[in-house]
Amino acid sequence: MNCKKARVLMSCALDGELTPKEEQEFQQHLSECLACAEEFTEAKKTKLIIREKIVRFKAPQSLVDSVLRLGIISSRQTEESLLFDQIS
Amino acid sequence: MDTHESSEKKKQKRGKETLTREELKKQQEFQEEAVAHINSLYNYALHLTMNPDDAEDLVQETYLKAYKFFNSFERGTNCKAWLFKILKNNYINRFRKNSREPGKVDYDLIKDFYHSIKDTRSDTSETDSDYFHSLMHEEVYQALQSLPEEFREVIQLCDIEGFTYEEIANMVESPIGTVRSRLYRGRKLLRGQLENYARKYGFNTDKEEE
Repeated sequence: MNCKKARVLMSCALDGELTPKEEQEFQQHLSECLACAEEFTEAKKTKLIIREKIVRFKAPQSLVDSVLRLGIISSRQTEESLLFDQIS
Repeated sequence: MDTHESSEKKKQKRGKETLTREELKKQQEFQEEAVAHINSLYNYALHLTMNPDDAEDLVQETYLKAYKFFNSFERGTNCKAWLFKILKNNYINRFRKNSREPGKVDYDLIKDFYHSIKDTRSDTSETDSDYFHSLMHEEVYQALQSLPEEFREVIQLCDIEGFTYEEIANMVESPIGTVRSRLYRGRKLLRGQLENYARKYGFNTDKEEE
Protein backbone atom coordinates (compact mmCIF):
# COMPACT_ATOMS: atom_id res chain seq x y z
CA MET A 1 0.00 0.00 0.00
CA ASN A 2 1.26 3.48 -0.84
CA CYS A 3 0.71 6.74 1.07
CA LYS A 4 -1.98 7.95 -1.29
CA LYS A 5 -4.13 4.91 -0.71
CA ALA A 6 -3.44 4.93 3.02
CA ARG A 7 -4.68 8.52 3.29
CA VAL A 8 -7.87 7.65 1.47
CA LEU A 9 -8.51 4.71 3.78
CA MET A 10 -7.58 6.55 6.95
CA SER A 11 -11.03 7.84 7.75
CA CYS A 12 -12.51 4.36 7.35
CA ALA A 13 -9.72 2.82 9.39
CA LEU A 14 -10.61 5.20 12.18
CA ASP A 15 -14.15 3.85 12.26
CA GLY A 16 -13.27 0.19 11.93
CA GLU A 17 -14.84 0.10 8.48
CA LEU A 18 -11.99 -1.54 6.59
CA THR A 19 -12.16 -5.11 5.34
CA PRO A 20 -9.78 -7.44 7.19
CA LYS A 21 -7.49 -7.44 4.17
CA GLU A 22 -7.47 -3.63 3.92
CA GLU A 23 -6.90 -3.36 7.65
CA GLN A 24 -3.91 -5.65 7.47
CA GLU A 25 -2.37 -3.74 4.57
CA PHE A 26 -3.10 -0.42 6.26
CA GLN A 27 -1.43 -1.44 9.51
CA GLN A 28 1.49 -2.80 7.55
CA HIS A 29 1.89 0.56 5.81
CA LEU A 30 1.69 2.48 9.10
CA SER A 31 4.44 0.38 10.57
CA GLU A 32 6.65 1.34 7.64
CA CYS A 33 5.66 4.98 7.10
CA LEU A 34 6.16 7.45 9.92
CA ALA A 35 4.33 10.29 8.16
CA CYS A 36 1.17 8.24 7.72
CA ALA A 37 1.41 6.87 11.24
CA GLU A 38 1.53 10.45 12.58
CA GLU A 39 -1.33 11.47 10.34
CA PHE A 40 -3.36 8.61 11.73
CA THR A 41 -2.62 9.66 15.32
CA GLU A 42 -3.85 13.16 14.48
CA ALA A 43 -7.00 11.81 12.91
CA LYS A 44 -7.70 9.70 15.98
CA LYS A 45 -7.33 12.76 18.14
CA THR A 46 -9.97 14.70 16.22
CA LYS A 47 -12.44 11.87 16.57
CA LEU A 48 -11.68 11.60 20.27
CA ILE A 49 -12.25 15.32 20.84
CA ILE A 50 -15.62 15.22 19.11
CA ARG A 51 -16.71 12.12 20.95
CA GLU A 52 -15.65 13.31 24.38
CA LYS A 53 -16.21 17.02 24.33
CA ILE A 54 -19.60 17.40 22.79
CA VAL A 55 -21.95 17.75 25.74
CA ARG A 56 -24.87 15.36 25.80
CA PHE A 57 -28.18 16.45 27.21
CA LYS A 58 -30.77 14.40 28.99
CA ALA A 59 -34.22 14.44 27.49
CA PRO A 60 -36.50 16.44 29.79
CA GLN A 61 -38.51 14.21 32.14
CA SER A 62 -41.77 15.62 30.78
CA LEU A 63 -40.81 14.34 27.33
CA VAL A 64 -39.87 10.91 28.67
CA ASP A 65 -43.17 10.69 30.53
CA SER A 66 -45.22 11.69 27.53
CA VAL A 67 -43.46 9.15 25.33
CA LEU A 68 -44.10 6.42 27.89
CA ARG A 69 -47.77 7.42 27.99
CA LEU A 70 -47.88 7.47 24.20
CA GLY A 71 -47.72 3.69 23.98
CA ILE A 72 -50.65 3.27 26.32
CA ILE A 73 -52.91 5.82 24.67
CA SER A 74 -52.26 4.82 21.08
CA SER A 75 -52.58 1.12 21.94
CA ARG A 76 -56.10 1.85 23.17
CA GLN A 77 -56.86 3.68 19.95
CA THR A 78 -55.48 0.89 17.82
CA GLU A 79 -57.43 -1.62 19.81
CA GLU A 80 -60.66 0.28 19.31
CA SER A 81 -60.16 0.78 15.61
CA LEU A 82 -59.22 -2.87 15.10
CA LEU A 83 -62.23 -3.98 17.07
CA PHE A 84 -64.37 -1.73 14.98
CA ASP A 85 -62.98 -3.26 11.80
CA GLN A 86 -63.72 -6.69 13.17
CA ILE A 87 -67.35 -5.88 13.92
CA SER A 88 -68.09 -4.14 10.65
CA MET B 1 -80.54 -16.92 17.33
CA ASP B 2 -79.56 -16.39 20.93
CA THR B 3 -76.86 -18.98 20.66
CA HIS B 4 -75.51 -17.37 17.53
CA GLU B 5 -75.45 -13.95 19.15
CA SER B 6 -73.68 -15.11 22.26
CA SER B 7 -71.07 -16.99 20.29
CA GLU B 8 -70.46 -13.85 18.25
CA LYS B 9 -70.03 -11.93 21.46
CA LYS B 10 -67.68 -14.55 22.79
CA LYS B 11 -65.66 -14.35 19.61
CA GLN B 12 -65.42 -10.59 19.91
CA LYS B 13 -64.49 -10.84 23.53
CA ARG B 14 -61.84 -13.39 22.79
CA GLY B 15 -60.57 -11.24 19.95
CA LYS B 16 -60.32 -8.28 22.23
CA GLU B 17 -58.45 -10.19 24.89
CA THR B 18 -55.91 -11.50 22.40
CA LEU B 19 -55.50 -8.05 20.97
CA THR B 20 -54.96 -6.56 24.37
CA ARG B 21 -52.33 -9.12 25.17
CA GLU B 22 -50.68 -8.47 21.83
CA GLU B 23 -50.82 -4.74 22.34
CA LEU B 24 -49.43 -5.12 25.81
CA LYS B 25 -46.55 -7.16 24.46
CA LYS B 26 -45.93 -4.61 21.73
CA GLN B 27 -46.00 -1.81 24.26
CA GLN B 28 -43.57 -3.58 26.51
CA GLU B 29 -41.23 -4.34 23.65
CA PHE B 30 -41.51 -0.77 22.40
CA GLN B 31 -40.57 0.61 25.77
CA GLU B 32 -37.61 -1.71 26.10
CA GLU B 33 -36.33 -1.29 22.55
CA ALA B 34 -37.27 2.22 21.53
CA VAL B 35 -37.64 4.40 24.60
CA ALA B 36 -34.11 3.44 25.64
CA HIS B 37 -32.80 5.73 22.89
CA ILE B 38 -34.68 8.85 23.90
CA ASN B 39 -31.59 10.78 25.06
CA SER B 40 -29.76 10.16 21.80
CA LEU B 41 -32.80 11.17 19.79
CA TYR B 42 -33.25 14.31 21.84
CA ASN B 43 -29.64 15.32 21.28
CA TYR B 44 -29.92 14.68 17.57
CA ALA B 45 -33.10 16.75 17.47
CA LEU B 46 -31.38 19.56 19.38
CA HIS B 47 -28.55 19.62 16.89
CA LEU B 48 -30.97 19.73 13.99
CA THR B 49 -33.43 22.30 15.31
CA MET B 50 -31.24 24.33 17.70
CA ASN B 51 -34.29 24.83 19.82
CA PRO B 52 -35.33 22.78 22.88
CA ASP B 53 -39.08 23.16 22.24
CA ASP B 54 -38.83 22.11 18.60
CA ALA B 55 -36.56 19.26 19.62
CA GLU B 56 -39.16 18.01 22.08
CA ASP B 57 -41.91 18.19 19.47
CA LEU B 58 -39.75 16.38 16.98
CA VAL B 59 -38.90 13.55 19.37
CA GLN B 60 -42.51 13.19 20.43
CA GLU B 61 -43.68 13.03 16.83
CA THR B 62 -40.98 10.49 16.06
CA TYR B 63 -42.12 8.18 18.84
CA LEU B 64 -45.74 8.52 17.85
CA LYS B 65 -44.89 7.42 14.35
CA ALA B 66 -42.50 4.73 15.57
CA TYR B 67 -45.16 3.22 17.78
CA LYS B 68 -47.67 3.24 14.99
CA PHE B 69 -45.28 1.43 12.67
CA PHE B 70 -43.49 -0.64 15.27
CA ASN B 71 -44.81 -3.84 13.71
CA SER B 72 -42.89 -3.03 10.54
CA PHE B 73 -39.64 -2.59 12.45
CA GLU B 74 -37.39 -5.48 11.51
CA ARG B 75 -36.51 -7.24 14.74
CA GLY B 76 -32.82 -7.77 15.25
CA THR B 77 -31.83 -4.69 13.24
CA ASN B 78 -30.65 -1.50 14.91
CA CYS B 79 -33.67 0.14 16.51
CA LYS B 80 -31.74 3.34 17.21
CA ALA B 81 -30.91 3.70 13.51
CA TRP B 82 -34.55 3.11 12.62
CA LEU B 83 -35.68 5.84 15.04
CA PHE B 84 -33.05 8.28 13.78
CA LYS B 85 -34.25 7.74 10.25
CA ILE B 86 -37.85 8.51 11.25
CA LEU B 87 -36.73 11.61 13.12
CA LYS B 88 -34.72 12.84 10.18
CA ASN B 89 -37.68 12.42 7.83
CA ASN B 90 -39.94 14.25 10.26
CA TYR B 91 -37.42 17.04 10.52
CA ILE B 92 -37.22 17.45 6.76
CA ASN B 93 -40.99 17.50 6.40
CA ARG B 94 -41.63 19.89 9.23
CA PHE B 95 -38.72 22.16 9.91
CA ARG B 96 -36.81 22.45 6.69
CA LYS B 97 -39.68 24.35 5.15
CA ASN B 98 -38.97 27.17 7.57
CA SER B 99 -36.79 30.06 6.57
CA ARG B 100 -33.60 29.11 8.41
CA GLU B 101 -31.05 28.13 5.82
CA PRO B 102 -29.36 24.83 6.54
CA GLY B 103 -25.64 25.11 7.00
CA LYS B 104 -25.75 28.78 7.83
CA VAL B 105 -24.29 29.32 11.25
CA ASP B 106 -25.37 31.95 13.70
CA TYR B 107 -22.83 31.88 16.50
CA ASP B 108 -24.90 34.03 18.81
CA LEU B 109 -27.80 31.67 18.40
CA ILE B 110 -25.58 28.72 19.22
CA LYS B 111 -24.16 30.46 22.26
CA ASP B 112 -27.57 31.44 23.61
CA PHE B 113 -28.96 28.04 22.93
CA TYR B 114 -26.01 26.34 24.50
CA HIS B 115 -26.17 28.38 27.68
CA SER B 116 -29.91 28.14 27.99
CA ILE B 117 -29.92 24.38 28.24
CA LYS B 118 -26.46 23.66 29.55
CA ASP B 119 -27.16 24.14 33.23
CA THR B 120 -30.34 22.18 33.61
CA ARG B 121 -30.02 19.31 31.22
CA SER B 122 -26.42 18.30 31.04
CA ASP B 123 -25.90 14.59 30.86
CA THR B 124 -22.38 14.79 32.23
CA SER B 125 -21.33 14.79 35.84
CA GLU B 126 -19.84 18.22 35.50
CA THR B 127 -20.85 20.81 38.06
CA ASP B 128 -21.67 24.47 37.52
CA SER B 129 -18.34 25.51 39.00
CA ASP B 130 -16.57 23.55 36.31
CA TYR B 131 -16.95 26.42 33.92
CA PHE B 132 -13.56 25.91 32.38
CA HIS B 133 -14.63 22.60 30.97
CA SER B 134 -17.82 24.09 29.61
CA LEU B 135 -15.81 26.60 27.67
CA MET B 136 -13.73 23.81 26.22
CA HIS B 137 -16.84 22.02 25.09
CA GLU B 138 -18.22 25.15 23.54
CA GLU B 139 -15.23 25.60 21.30
CA VAL B 140 -15.61 22.08 19.98
CA TYR B 141 -19.33 22.59 19.58
CA GLN B 142 -18.82 25.71 17.51
CA ALA B 143 -16.19 24.02 15.37
CA LEU B 144 -18.63 21.23 14.59
CA GLN B 145 -21.48 23.64 13.93
CA SER B 146 -19.36 25.66 11.54
CA LEU B 147 -19.10 22.74 9.12
CA PRO B 148 -21.47 22.51 6.16
CA GLU B 149 -24.50 20.50 7.20
CA GLU B 150 -23.77 17.48 5.03
CA PHE B 151 -20.37 17.05 6.69
CA ARG B 152 -21.51 17.83 10.20
CA GLU B 153 -24.31 15.35 9.96
CA VAL B 154 -22.20 12.32 9.07
CA ILE B 155 -19.57 13.19 11.68
CA GLN B 156 -22.25 13.45 14.31
CA LEU B 157 -23.85 10.16 13.34
CA CYS B 158 -20.52 8.39 13.18
CA ASP B 159 -18.44 9.86 16.00
CA ILE B 160 -21.08 10.79 18.52
CA GLU B 161 -23.80 8.23 17.88
CA GLY B 162 -21.56 5.40 16.73
CA PHE B 163 -23.55 4.28 13.69
CA THR B 164 -21.94 2.13 11.00
CA TYR B 165 -21.40 3.52 7.50
CA GLU B 166 -24.20 1.34 6.21
CA GLU B 167 -26.63 2.70 8.78
CA ILE B 168 -25.57 6.27 8.06
CA ALA B 169 -25.91 5.73 4.31
CA ASN B 170 -29.44 4.54 4.85
CA MET B 171 -30.25 7.49 7.09
CA VAL B 172 -28.94 10.20 4.80
CA GLU B 173 -30.09 8.33 1.70
CA SER B 174 -26.72 8.36 -0.03
CA PRO B 175 -24.35 5.61 -1.14
CA ILE B 176 -21.71 4.41 1.33
CA GLY B 177 -19.03 5.92 -0.89
CA THR B 178 -20.58 9.34 -0.37
CA VAL B 179 -20.67 8.83 3.39
CA ARG B 180 -17.00 7.88 3.30
CA SER B 181 -15.96 10.91 1.35
CA ARG B 182 -18.08 13.29 3.44
CA LEU B 183 -16.51 11.93 6.60
CA TYR B 184 -13.06 12.26 5.09
CA ARG B 185 -13.59 15.84 3.94
CA GLY B 186 -15.53 16.90 7.02
CA ARG B 187 -12.85 15.64 9.34
CA LYS B 188 -10.18 17.42 7.37
CA LEU B 189 -12.05 20.72 7.85
CA LEU B 190 -12.68 19.97 11.48
CA ARG B 191 -9.04 19.24 12.14
CA GLY B 192 -8.12 22.66 10.85
CA GLN B 193 -10.66 24.22 13.17
CA LEU B 194 -9.59 22.21 16.18
CA GLU B 195 -5.86 22.56 15.75
CA ASN B 196 -5.57 25.48 18.14
CA TYR B 197 -7.94 23.85 20.55
CA ALA B 198 -5.98 20.62 20.63
CA ARG B 199 -2.74 22.47 21.24
CA LYS B 200 -4.26 24.62 23.98
CA TYR B 201 -5.81 21.78 25.94
CA GLY B 202 -3.20 19.11 25.61
CA PHE B 203 -4.70 16.97 22.91
CA ASN B 204 -1.67 17.65 20.80
CA THR B 205 1.05 15.15 21.44
CA ASP B 206 3.49 16.22 18.75
CA LYS B 207 6.93 15.13 19.79
CA GLU B 208 8.65 18.43 18.97
CA GLU B 209 6.34 20.23 21.38
CA GLU B 210 7.04 18.03 24.34
